[in-house]
Amino acid sequence: MIVVDKVTKTFSVSRQQRREMGPEFKGSRIDAVKEVSFTCRPGRIFTLLGPNGAGKTTMLRMIATMLKPSSGTIAVAGFDVVKEGVEVRRRIGFLTGNTGLYDRLTPDEMIKYYADLYGMDAQTYGRRRQEIFGLLGIHEFAGRRIGKLSSGMKQKVSLARTIIHNPDVVVFDEPTSALDVVTSRAIIQLIKRCKEENKTVLFSTHRMGEVSLLSDDLAIIHRGSFIFNGTYKEFENQMQTRSVEDEFVRLVEAA
Amino acid sequence: MSRFVTIFRKEFTDTIRDRRTLFMMIVFPLLLVPVLMIVMTNLQRSSMKKAEEKVLRVALVARGNAAVLVGALTGHHDFRVIDGIPADSMEAMILRDSVDAAVVVAGDFDAAVARMASGKIRLFYKSSDDFDMVKRRLSDVIGAYEKQLVADRFVKLKLDAGIVNPVTIEEHDVASMKERIGKTVGGMFPYLFVIFCFMGAMYPAIDLAAGEKERGTMETLLTAPVSRFQILLGKFAVVVLTGLLSAAISIVGILFAVRQISDIPPEMLDAVVAILDVQTVVLVLSLLFPLSMFFAAFLLSMSIFARSYKEAQSMISPLMIVVILPVMIGLFPGVTLGPLTAMIPILNVSLATKEIIAGTVKTGLLLEVYASLILLAGLSLFGCARWFQREETIFRGV
Repeated sequence: MIVVDKVTKTFSVSRQQRREMGPEFKGSRIDAVKEVSFTCRPGRIFTLLGPNGAGKTTMLRMIATMLKPSSGTIAVAGFDVVKEGVEVRRRIGFLTGNTGLYDRLTPDEMIKYYADLYGMDAQTYGRRRQEIFGLLGIHEFAGRRIGKLSSGMKQKVSLARTIIHNPDVVVFDEPTSALDVVTSRAIIQLIKRCKEENKTVLFSTHRMGEVSLLSDDLAIIHRGSFIFNGTYKEFENQMQTRSVEDEFVRLVEAA
Repeated sequence: MSRFVTIFRKEFTDTIRDRRTLFMMIVFPLLLVPVLMIVMTNLQRSSMKKAEEKVLRVALVARGNAAVLVGALTGHHDFRVIDGIPADSMEAMILRDSVDAAVVVAGDFDAAVARMASGKIRLFYKSSDDFDMVKRRLSDVIGAYEKQLVADRFVKLKLDAGIVNPVTIEEHDVASMKERIGKTVGGMFPYLFVIFCFMGAMYPAIDLAAGEKERGTMETLLTAPVSRFQILLGKFAVVVLTGLLSAAISIVGILFAVRQISDIPPEMLDAVVAILDVQTVVLVLSLLFPLSMFFAAFLLSMSIFARSYKEAQSMISPLMIVVILPVMIGLFPGVTLGPLTAMIPILNVSLATKEIIAGTVKTGLLLEVYASLILLAGLSLFGCARWFQREETIFRGV
């Protein structure tokens, strides 16, 4: 379970960033996330939807303990992200669109490295490796350098890295951006599998097709604040337009 | 501890699989010195030989004087004497490269010599050509002629030649060959060690911090259940090790280079080999260890701040000058290891290495150098760890 309570994240703005934001931006600090609260429950997929720069990645990075909230609290599997960061990270799997792999290692070395970081014993690791490598079809290229693999193969290794320690909570930050249809589908399947395994799944995207396909709960974030937060059914019921995409645009423009 | 070992092992494997790092860490220090030394020595040797064997075109104006000298010059196989050039155009002829040198004997030379006075011979040459070999070769001939004139005068005056040498100096240099070489050539060694230590650490530091940020692996690594300090420590240890390895490999390179140069006298070769004995090498590496720690912490701090590999490279490369400068100061004559210089980072390593190689290092000063370096290494690691905790640093440009 992930419980986010009135979280705000403020960044100081450099002179260069101020220039990039244009003359209408005044001040030296910006709220990337403002007073956001939500709960992700086990066995459900929570989708965080928002345009680029809305604050999705900042939110997910705070949940994964990479960034500290400026105010508010976040608890992951009952552990506070600020005070018990290591315990949170033990229970979380984090995947981004960027595969985040070491090109000079083999998939075997890469996954073993993370298994060691997660403190997995040899027996558990061996069993888990067999299961995941079989599921994702990694065996055939497990000994090749990652740099020499196709982007689809890399994404499979990345997925294996995310779930090797069997985390209770899985966070996907725009995992299908810049991926082909086949690889995207493999990721979608894995997200569904995580739900079936009663894991808490938090998923951020700006692809509307994935929203309707996966979401149990949905939040739309715009300029750091939620403009919608409820179940996907509730979202459908309140739609004033014909498609999810049109409704999303309507809500963003109205905000 | 086990997490640190895991990170260290992975970072080291990753680093030694990087061709660029491998080249900078092993191939470059191993081959640069031998190649430079062998090429430079052979080039210098062949140029010297060419200058020595070249038949010099010598313009001669003697006006009937110094017949013995004229005979010596014209009869010499190494000179082609050219007569008939006006005395006032010698300078221009040499500058135009029409002749290599000119000897102008004064009109009253024989008369002056006859009355036991000094006769004047003007020698024109261009010192910038051929290692000043023209002057040396002509001076040898003129010098031999002068010796003959002096001997003639002693005979004429019925004097013993020994009267002009009232003092005979018998020199006894108590400095060993090791010490002499250590204080002269030895100054070059720290220069190489420090530079290779820095260069060996540079690419791994860029790759393990800015490179990780750029590839997106840093973000993933930060989600693992390890502290940021453990992550930093694993990377730091690899950068320290590569810096040290690079310096150690450069020592092998120097030994190899020295053995490849054929005309080094055996006693000098023995001295160089003795300079780089196990005890000296261990002592020098023990100095380079804390220096390498300082380099690693500093380079990682810069690298983690950079947005990309390229930015880190452009930030770090100019620092090489900052590193070289104190080492160069250590090569200046008169700059020695003292209580003050022992406190100045890099310079102290340079000076202490020189003293260690010469076998004249004082324990007290060496301990001061260690204390200064360990303090610096500790402070820089502390600063780097603090820097690594900052969100603004790690996520700058990500």
